[in-house]
This record gives sequence, structure tokens and C-alpha cells, in this order.
Amino acid sequence: MKKIEAIIKPFKLDEVKDGLSGLGVKGLTVTEVKGFGRQRGHKEVYRGAEYQVDFVSKIKIEVVMESGLVAEAVKIIQEKARTGQIGDGKIFIIPVEEVVRIRTGEIGKEAI
Amino acid sequence: MTSAFEELKESKEHLTSLLSEGGVPENFQEKYTEIIDQYFRRSLQESETAHALFRDKTHFAFVAVGGYGRKELCIYSDIDIQILFGPKIPSRAKQLAEEIFYPLWDLGLDLGYGIRSIKDSIVLSRDDFEVLTSVMDARFVGGHSPVYLSLVETIQKKVVSKNAIAFGRWLEDQYKIRIRTFGDASHLLEPNLKEGIGALRDYHHILWLARAFFNLRAPRDLEYMGKLSHNEYKTLRDHLELIWLVRNHLHQLSGRKNDRMVFEYQEEIAKRLGFKDQKNLLAVEQFMGRVHASMASVKSLYRSLVTSHISKWRRVKNDSDDTDTAGGLHLSQGELNINSAKGILSNPFLLIQVFEQSSRLGCRLSMEAKRLVREFLFLVDDAFRKSERVVQSFINIMTEESTFEALDQMYETGFLEAFIPEFGKIIDRVQFDAYHIFPVGRHSLETVRHLKSLSKEKDILLLDIFSDLSNLETLFLAGLFHDIGKVGKDHARKGVAITRNILKRFGYDKKRDEDILFLVGHHLFLVETATRRDLNDEKVVIQCARTIGDVERLKMLYLLTWADSKATGPGAWSEWIANLVQELFFKSLHVLEKGELATSHASQKVRKTQSEVRNLMADHIDDRDLEDFFEAMSPRYLLETSPYDIVRHHAFVRGLKERLENPQAPAFIFEAREEPGQGCWEVIFLAKDRPGLFSDITGVMALNNINILSAHIYTWRDGTAVDIFRVTSPLDPIHPDETWKRMKTDLKNAFTGKLSLDYRLSQKAAPCIFSHRKTPSRPPKVMVNNESSDFFTLIEIFADDRVGLLYMITHTLFNLKLDIRIAKIATKADQIADVFYVRDLEGQQVEDSEQIEEIRQSLVYRLEQG
Repeated sequence: MKKIEAIIKPFKLDEVKDGLSGLGVKGLTVTEVKGFGRQRGHKEVYRGAEYQVDFVSKIKIEVVMESGLVAEAVKIIQEKARTGQIGDGKIFIIPVEEVVRIRTGEIGKEAI
Repeated sequence: MTSAFEELKESKEHLTSLLSEGGVPENFQEKYTEIIDQYFRRSLQESETAHALFRDKTHFAFVAVGGYGRKELCIYSDIDIQILFGPKIPSRAKQLAEEIFYPLWDLGLDLGYGIRSIKDSIVLSRDDFEVLTSVMDARFVGGHSPVYLSLVETIQKKVVSKNAIAFGRWLEDQYKIRIRTFGDASHLLEPNLKEGIGALRDYHHILWLARAFFNLRAPRDLEYMGKLSHNEYKTLRDHLELIWLVRNHLHQLSGRKNDRMVFEYQEEIAKRLGFKDQKNLLAVEQFMGRVHASMASVKSLYRSLVTSHISKWRRVKNDSDDTDTAGGLHLSQGELNINSAKGILSNPFLLIQVFEQSSRLGCRLSMEAKRLVREFLFLVDDAFRKSERVVQSFINIMTEESTFEALDQMYETGFLEAFIPEFGKIIDRVQFDAYHIFPVGRHSLETVRHLKSLSKEKDILLLDIFSDLSNLETLFLAGLFHDIGKVGKDHARKGVAITRNILKRFGYDKKRDEDILFLVGHHLFLVETATRRDLNDEKVVIQCARTIGDVERLKMLYLLTWADSKATGPGAWSEWIANLVQELFFKSLHVLEKGELATSHASQKVRKTQSEVRNLMADHIDDRDLEDFFEAMSPRYLLETSPYDIVRHHAFVRGLKERLENPQAPAFIFEAREEPGQGCWEVIFLAKDRPGLFSDITGVMALNNINILSAHIYTWRDGTAVDIFRVTSPLDPIHPDETWKRMKTDLKNAFTGKLSLDYRLSQKAAPCIFSHRKTPSRPPKVMVNNESSDFFTLIEIFADDRVGLLYMITHTLFNLKLDIRIAKIATKADQIADVFYVRDLEGQQVEDSEQIEEIRQSLVYRLEQG
């Protein structure tokens, strides 16, 4: 099992979500996050006062799946989240040791 | 015969079963109270210990206190009872309690009991007003009634009458604690039905105050003593009945004493009470709307009853502080009063003037003034609503110091709804989600409150934008009306139509009218664009700027967006969303301030071009493809190109697509045509854009002795480079086509690496002793800036013209790892004035000052070197 963490542009969330649902992904977690990568924050000046924005608003999605699906899922996320402009984001793939569904106590594949 | 216990059990089960069947049992609380009373009476009769105590002449009484005393028992309410003894408590008291109370615990009832002497009660009540409140609600259940009567009398004489004022203050403090702890139930999404503001506790406060100050015995006395009118009392009872009913259902569904109306059960209770989903309104939304309306009404009654009396306790007797404020109104103890009911009949304008004064002076209406307004609302008719004088007063209220407070009272008294009937439709609309904390009407007022608070805002940016506005009235009215269309879906659009009607009735002038309507119609626009579109795409920002149209509107829209979100709930304006909206605000502001791309002239021209292209192409292309085609274009291209050329270019775009699919064909389109009578040619070049592409084309032109007079280089959003050149005629004017053919071959070879432009051009320049090289008449000028655009770094170059110059410049830019996205090349006499919009290979502006200096110096060097 793997966890995919992807940082994407906010307006791409729906497309990515639909793409992943199409792949049969059952659930995912979405968080509003801020940060910076190559796309830096910026400074604005209004009437002499400066407004420094250090972090850019992004969406983080996290989804856990069987390893076999990962390649396809990454492809979908990349396809859907891409604009070709700066700040399209990143995808991380992380091994997952175990999953437990709290309600039933199921573990492993069934719990995803 | 069944035992007292069994009878209790059966009766209770029967009563609660009525609830689960979805019934609305009348007087449930009283009936339930009656069942408990009955149990105590029967148990007393059957109790050995009680008989023994009677025989001893040890008198005692069973006294119900708290909610049980008030006959307000809900299913899981605590049942508080006291065994009251005259002078002292006998040892057998405990045994009596055990005998009678134990079975109730077995039944799972929350029974609280006390065994007290009258003296204990007095001391406890005096020390702790909480105890006093429960004793105030005391009611005789069984036993020896003189014991009970003696308690009531002593409490009144020794505690209540001596401590009334301290008690009043204590209640006031309790009220404040409740605001902090439970909030205002009349608009919370999960209101507390008992302790929230506007909930049952408000009613208890009324009762306790009335008991302390008017020696009230029963709730009905409120009416008999003239504290409330018959209608007011009746309405109060109706609202309370609803809250009790809901509370009973809530208890039953929760299976415990739960007074917080949590989401979980709202839908079920709505269903049980017979609410049905309607087209635009869920059952649960109607239901919560009713609950909120009831609580708002209880709250309002509490406030008007209590504030008038609280001011009495506080008052340092001074009757000379009554002041006339305006004809027919006067100030008294810091509250506004209407002189007489007759005054209103002869001058109905008083109905709005009292609010106008309130907004100006910052004082509230007295309870009596509010009552008069309510009673005379029938005078607010069509003629009143249209009256210029009334409208002017309303506008004044919107711009005075205490707008929000005045609107709040207009809302509370029903005047706002009467004056703007459209407002009535949204007042109690609840949205069934965790996002909106207020019903729509309250939310609209809160939005105005936030807008009004901007003048004291700590955030400098908001404050600065606010102080830049020239017309605040527009902003405030837009704030009040922005959600008025929330009677169904697509509320912003509906809101425009409704607002237009209101403003028409007001006799509003056109220009302001348009601004307000725009703000109402677009109040979600910034948030939607910021969260759903790519702010790094220049076209998105330009379209946003065009939609908004001018700087003042953008500023108002930004402030309205902020206030609307703040008034929606804590989640609606997070730093995350604020960042996005602020980015869009600044980028749109810059586009609008720069002019050119988003002036009304530009927007008009683009619309006109689009519609002409649609006409020209109607038969050749379906609508979807055409819209996709428009969508792909760069905004500058659309603005600067004629409809006929666009149609012509469309064929090229299609041609390019076909070629890109065929690996044999050269991956570009090259077309040249003579411009009649101009002595020059137009060359169109299309290809998939890549860094260095423009440089290659200019190199091939130089190689073929073609001098570029002007050029427009566009990169479309789908990555297509569309380059349009005006060039001098080929050297051989009789066979121009040969030159163009050669150029095509050169282009193909240059792109595939078969031809080195650098080498060929240096070969070409070396032996040419005839080329009239002259020293530059003026030193070249290169300027680099990031301020002109949020998306590109602009490089402006002024220099003497010569063949190959453009290749040299663009090649230098390519070597500097810059991507040319847009270029405007112009030649005047022998001078070039070129502007390049570039980005680094990451797609960002060049911000590093050292890199900027490097760009500038290397260009100057190349230009001087020649």
C-alpha cells in the first residue's frame, strides 16, 4: 500500500478528484495548505504600505491505495493538475505499513 | 389496583409514546408534571413514615422547585423537589425520602431532592441567588400547605424585597455569562434550547424579574399586570410551546437531557413536526427558520421588558434629562421615545425618523417606542415606501454613525420588513450547512456591520482601500441587499432583479443604481475566480478585470467580499482564502490601472470582434469549437487583431494541427502576402512555441535580407506561437515567391539543426564591405522592469536599426535563458522601439536584480558592438 500526497493548485481539485474517482479510489483527504516551492510568494505595495505574501495557497490531497494502482493514479493527478504554468505542484509517494478501519477493525486492503 | 410507581411508569410511557408517533401532544410539560405530582401525592398517602410524621404533628410539605415548580418538565428534565419542614428536620425525614424517592431513581429519572427547614431555605437563598431562583419557582405538591405558604411569605419579605436590585444585577451578569457560553440561539446553527440567548432561560429571567419587582405569582400575571399586551403574551406562549415541543423531541431522540439542537437530529425533528421539502427550501431549513424566529421573538421581548427595568434600577433619579430631539421624538434616560401614538397617526414619518435619529445619536429606541413602531406598521404602505422623504431618511440611516444598530432595531421591530418587503422573504432563511452561522437576514445585517467597521479596521490594506472609496452609500446598500435573492438557486442573479425593483421604488439614479446592481450580482465573483481559476494565467486576470471594469468597483467588490465572508462564519475568511482573493485583487487592480487591456473600450472592442467572427464563421464551425478557439487565444491577440484576420488565422491554426499530426510535414505554417500599395509584405508564422523560436525566425529573415518593420508575437494559451510580421519586400521584387520558398527551406533546416544561423549570418556579414556601417547616432537604451505586468518581465529597447539586429537581440535573450512570450517590434525611420515580454524558463518573472542587470548590460553591449 502507498499513500499519495499531492500539492496542487486549488482550482484543480475537482478535476483531480473526478479523475481519481474514475480510477475507483474510494476516499481522499483534502487540506487547504500554504507553502512555497519554486513559485515564490510576492510583495505588493498599496499606498506606500508593503504587503509581503510569503506563502502561496495550495490544496493538499492525500489518498491511500494498493501499490498496483499508484502508477495510474500518479499519471491521472499529473494530467489533471497540470497547467504548464509555474506552481503546478508536486506528487509524493510514501509507503504505508498498515491501515485500520476504526469502525470495524478491518485491516489492510479491506480497510482502504 | 396498581401501585403509585406502576401508575407513574405507565402514564409516562403513554405520554412519551405520543411524541415518537410524531404527534404534537398539547401541554406535554404540564401533563408530565401532573403525572409526577400524582405520584408524590399517592406515595405520601401510602407512606408509613408520612403517617407517622402526621401523627407526631411534625408538619412538612412536598415542594416542587425549578423547572418542575414551573410545570415545564421535558422528558429528561431534572425533577427538583424539596421536603420542607417547619422549624426543624426530624430524624425520620431521611427514611421518608428514601421511601418515596428511590423508586424514581430506579425509573432512571434525574431526581434532585433537598430536605430543608424554612430557615435553611431563607439562609441559602440569601447567600446564593441561584437557590433563590429555584425557590421563587416553588410550587406546593402535597403535605401540609401552611408550611409551603410560610416559606413563600418569608422569602418574599426577608429575601426578595430586600435584595431586588442586587438580584437584578446578578441576573444581568448571568445573562452576560450565557452570551459568552452559549451564544445567541436565535441565529446559531446548533442553538441551545435552554440556556442560549433567546431560549427558555430568557423567559425564566422575565419571570424571576417580574417576581422580584412586581411580586408576580403566575406567568399569566405578566398580562394581567399590564407588563405585556394580550397579543404579546399569547405570541410569547406560542413561541415557548414550539421551543418546548422541539426540546422534548430532542430529548427523546438523544435519549438523554440534551438541550443543544445538534445537526444530527434537526432533519428528523423537522420531519416529525410535519415540515416538507419545498422547491427551494428543505424541510429542515424551514424548521430551523421557525425555531430561530421564535427565539428571536423571545429574545426581543426579553430585551424590551428587561432593559426598560434595568435602566430603572440604575437610574439616579433625574427627570430633567428628557430632551426633544426632533419634532415628535424625545430622549429620555438615553433612550429614544416617540411622544405619542397620536403623533404617529398625524405624522407617519416618525416611524422612520425615530430610526434615523437612533442612527445619528447612537441611542436605542425605548421599549415603548418599539412597541409603538410595531403597532403602527400598518401605516407603512406603498405610498410610504415610495416617499422621497422616507427614502432620504433611509439613505441617511445607511451612512450615519450607527447604521448597524439602527438596522438591527428596524429588523427587530419588523419595520425593515415592512419598508422593504423583499427583505421579509429572506429574514429567517436558514441554510442547512455548517458554513453559514446566521440566517440570511441576520447575515445581511452582519455584512453591513463589518462594512461599517472598516473605518476602524486594524488591517491597513482594508482600511486604505476603504478610505479611497468616494461613495460609501453604494457599498453599504450593496452589503444590505447582496443576498436578497436568496429565495432559491442562483441567488446573485435573482438578487439583481429584486434589488433593481427596490432601487426603482427608491427613485435611485442610474449610475449608482448600476454599481449597486453590479456588486449584488457579482458578490461571489472574486472568491469564485480566485478559487476556481488559475491566477497565474494572464487571461483569467484580464477577463476578471474586464468584467469588473473600473478600479472603484474592484475596491468595493473586494471589501464586500471580505465583509460577506466575515459575516458568513469563521471558516469563510481563512488566511488561505484571503491570500487567493488578495492576489486576484492586486493583479486585477494592476491590469485596470495600466489601462489598455481592460478599459471599457477594450472590452467593447473584444466583444465586437468576437461577435463579428461568430457571424463570419457561423457556417463553418460549431459553437463549441469556436468558443474553444476564443478561449485559446491570448487576450492581446484578440484585442489587436481584426475579425477578418482572425478568420484567416483560424485556417492556419487548423493547418498547423494537421501538420503536427504528420511527422513528414514541416511543423510550422508560413504564409506571406503583399500589402497592396504599401511596398511591404505581411508574413504569418505559426508553430508550437519553444524558447528560441522567435530568434530562429528573425535569423532566417536576416539571412534572406528581409528587414522586419514591425512584429506582433503572441503565445496562445495552448502553446501555439502566432507571429505576425510586416517586412520589407524581397530584394528580387519580380520573383518574390522564390525568396519565400527559400525561407521556408531555411526555416525547416534551422529547426532541424541542418543550418547554423550563427555561422551563416557571421559568414554573410564578414565579406560585406559595402554594408554601410555607421557609428550609432544615439547610444542604445535598454530598460527592464517587473512593474508593468504581474506575469512578465518587460524589456524595452531603443536603438538604431539594421538588418539582423532583431536576430541579435532575440538570440541574446535566448542565451540568457529567457522565454519571449509577447513581442511588439516597431521601426520608426531608422530607430527601433521593441518591447519584449519575457519569463524565465520556470515561467516566472525575473526578480533577481543581478540577473536583471546582466540582461541589461549584455544587451547594451551587443547593441553597441553592432
